[in-house]
Amino acid sequence: MTKALKLSIKPEQGILEFLRFLLENGKVKGVFTLNKINKNGAVAYSLISNSDELNNAVPFFPIMPANAGKLLSRFTLKGGATEPVAAVVKPCELRAFIELVKREQGKLENILFISLTCGGVYPLSKAVYENVEKYLSEYWDVVKKGEISVDLRSACKGCTEFSPYNADITFDLLGNNDLDKNCIVFLNTKKGEEFAKGMNAKFLEKELDNKKLDKILDKRKIEKKKIFDELETKMNGMDGLIEIFGKCIGCHGCSKVCPICYCKLCGFDSSDFEYRSSNYEAEFRKRGGIRVPPRTLFYHLGRLDHISISCIGCGSCEDICPVDIPISVIFKKIGESVQKMFDYIPGKNIEEDIPLITFKEEEFAEVEQ
Amino acid sequence: MKKNKDFMPKILAFLCNWCSYAGADLAGTSRIKYPPSIMAIRVMCSSRVDPILIIDAYLCGFDGVLVAGCHPGDCHYQKGNYYTRRRFVVLKKIVEGLGLESDRLRLSWVSASEGQKFAKVSTEFTDNIKEIGENPVKSEIFL
Amino acid sequence: MSESVGISENKGAVISINSSLEDSVKDLLKKSMEKGIFDAVLIPMKVPAGDSFVYVLIKDKSLLNNAFPIPPIMSVQGAKAISSVTRLGKGNLKIAAVMRPCEIRATVELTKLNQTNLENITLISMDCPGVMPISDFISEPDKAMKLFDNAIKTWDDKIMRPVCQMCDKSSMVASDLHIGTLGSKKDTFFVISNSQNGKDMLDNLGIKLKEDIDTWRAKVKDNNEEKMKKRKKTHMDLKTQIGSLDNLIDMFSQCINCHNCMRVCPICYCRLCYFDSDKVKQKSEDYLQMAKSKGSIRFLPDTTLFQIGRMMHMSLSCVSCGSCEDACPMSIPVAQIFSMIADETQEIFDYVAGRSQEEPLPLKTYNEDELHEVEDAHD
Repeated sequence: MTKALKLSIKPEQGILEFLRFLLENGKVKGVFTLNKINKNGAVAYSLISNSDELNNAVPFFPIMPANAGKLLSRFTLKGGATEPVAAVVKPCELRAFIELVKREQGKLENILFISLTCGGVYPLSKAVYENVEKYLSEYWDVVKKGEISVDLRSACKGCTEFSPYNADITFDLLGNNDLDKNCIVFLNTKKGEEFAKGMNAKFLEKELDNKKLDKILDKRKIEKKKIFDELETKMNGMDGLIEIFGKCIGCHGCSKVCPICYCKLCGFDSSDFEYRSSNYEAEFRKRGGIRVPPRTLFYHLGRLDHISISCIGCGSCEDICPVDIPISVIFKKIGESVQKMFDYIPGKNIEEDIPLITFKEEEFAEVEQ
Repeated sequence: MKKNKDFMPKILAFLCNWCSYAGADLAGTSRIKYPPSIMAIRVMCSSRVDPILIIDAYLCGFDGVLVAGCHPGDCHYQKGNYYTRRRFVVLKKIVEGLGLESDRLRLSWVSASEGQKFAKVSTEFTDNIKEIGENPVKSEIFL
Repeated sequence: MSESVGISENKGAVISINSSLEDSVKDLLKKSMEKGIFDAVLIPMKVPAGDSFVYVLIKDKSLLNNAFPIPPIMSVQGAKAISSVTRLGKGNLKIAAVMRPCEIRATVELTKLNQTNLENITLISMDCPGVMPISDFISEPDKAMKLFDNAIKTWDDKIMRPVCQMCDKSSMVASDLHIGTLGSKKDTFFVISNSQNGKDMLDNLGIKLKEDIDTWRAKVKDNNEEKMKKRKKTHMDLKTQIGSLDNLIDMFSQCINCHNCMRVCPICYCRLCYFDSDKVKQKSEDYLQMAKSKGSIRFLPDTTLFQIGRMMHMSLSCVSCGSCEDACPMSIPVAQIFSMIADETQEIFDYVAGRSQEEPLPLKTYNEDELHEVEDAHD
């Protein structure tokens, strides 16, 4: 049994009241959450210190302009938060932050993590071409039923990690029939309980409804398999890869928005792999021509090798790609197969070492020939 | 694609200074025959081999890439080859998952005294690669 | 590219088109390779999946059969491609690079910035009808190809990038050799030389420069004037849209700070951009302090700083190619804004980015007696 709160209002308002409570009572000095930044509905993460500014906050908005885990890493890169801050983040964003903390790219202290059972986000293009607010009631309807919105990012449609790990406080939204009238907020940690003390709400003890979550998990698993199988038909060996990545323009946007790609100067941007004229001349001994800039596939396969162990499957890469390459599906599929070998779920357990910086003396004997 | 079984594969071999390179040397000084397919690069430890170097070699057109190091537990730097093993496992999984020919990549443990083993590994690997065929990537333009 | 001889000479060559303009241009290139004038050609080709075009450095001249001198899109700015080949020094190969006028101009700018070495490179450009936005092409490649083929014939730019639609430099010759399709008689095109290098190439091919190119000049002038009108109008409209700090912030409100625009820009060559470096990374207490002083701050707070900062760093060399706008995931009209600012900053120095290799970058030179209007008033 976990301590929980019952707020008798719909969750989008419930979270705002909770955040207001935290700020106004001085429990936190800042709130990190999604904010409406203009009248056209554009949203961006903001660090809010005045509770009046919360009027424009939309913490559960189904758009991810940037992975919050990456932003929290930037916030704590030069030192942990010196005053308490509440951060409202999606489960994958929290997992990304944990993976970054493991890599010493962020600090956990003084951050109160508030998350939710997640119904996914829309691709950024939806925010560009349409007013996402029009879709909100439809979105919440689908969340209520625990189903999958058709227009979500493909990474979200097949996401099986929709319950947050490591959150101090979880708004349980998925699959709750009375979502228009109230919401259950789990206080998972002592810290969560401490911060919630004094909140004007009904305090109770509750159990997470695993049956309900399992049903949703099954639906997501089916969707994931569909998405992966569809990719399988295109990705048939080297020819398939050349076709998929043919239109890549080498902008490296995928790397820049990826929370796991934290290297200040990526090897693929550095002089390490840069070609000089003599390299081109050498290539001509094998090939009648060579694509310029060269080494497109090398960049993608290299990035896959470096980060697949921690890919949290948020889908930011696919949203940023100017030529619509299904990067997030490729990275998520390969990432999961790599992580499965070590029974590793990135961002789940802060104590768990990233599998590539540790080893067992006896393992994987079959790989040596 | 026509498989030219008479071709001599080009295999890039990353050999660790203390064990496998010495083993290769021993094969040479003992006049043990093995095919001229192996092009060796000496590294201080097999764990120096960033998998993207293996990917680079594969995309450059090498027909095979061999990484050879000390037996687990005998690494000159105590733990290097344990990491090598994990990295190799991940690389293989990626290459398999993408439908590429993962048999072109091989990991072997060869100690300094195993000249015979080095020759055996080289011969076997060369024969395997001959079966698989030349790496079609070497003539690709749109990589 | 050797010293510019300028196209003050009024003579060019007229080449007949046998099957198509593209095939005729490719024939010239093939002949040049056969005669050893070039060892390789840098020119776009269609990718295996057929949904895009990329630059390929071609050594085997049979590959030229599948090349596209004027592809419908600009996936990678040509200057970036040339820079990728020669940034670390000239090679032994003689290379012909076929690209659009703005790509040539960006190449010239990059040469001034030491990011390209043009020795052994012959630059070839052509009158440019514009390029389509990449997303328009890749969603329906076959349909888009047909639309583009039509647009080349009619010079109708409705389907092109917004900055292409107001480009008054689409026939600017900054290259060694220029293919002039405007104003030429039916089934012919002009070949115009702009340098000794270009002249030498034509000499080697046995092509004499003895035809008048007045009709080309006249049509180019007309075209430029029309485009200039559109340009002025668009810039006026933009000015009202972003006329204040509030409006500017609003225009960039959707910006997610991905920096795609910077990375695809040919002029932005810095390996580690200032706006990605430690200089903009601050401690949590500094961010919290900022939040306290304003009530709330956008996180990360560097959006406007990045945009104006990038303008400051590159507008003097901006060639208005529009690659930035294509790469923006939030469809912000970055190219139109940057291009407008670029016009204004370049005008201060009577400078046109990439017009000539001889013209020094305005910020790398000075006159002792100039620009007094920006100084404090003295008595």
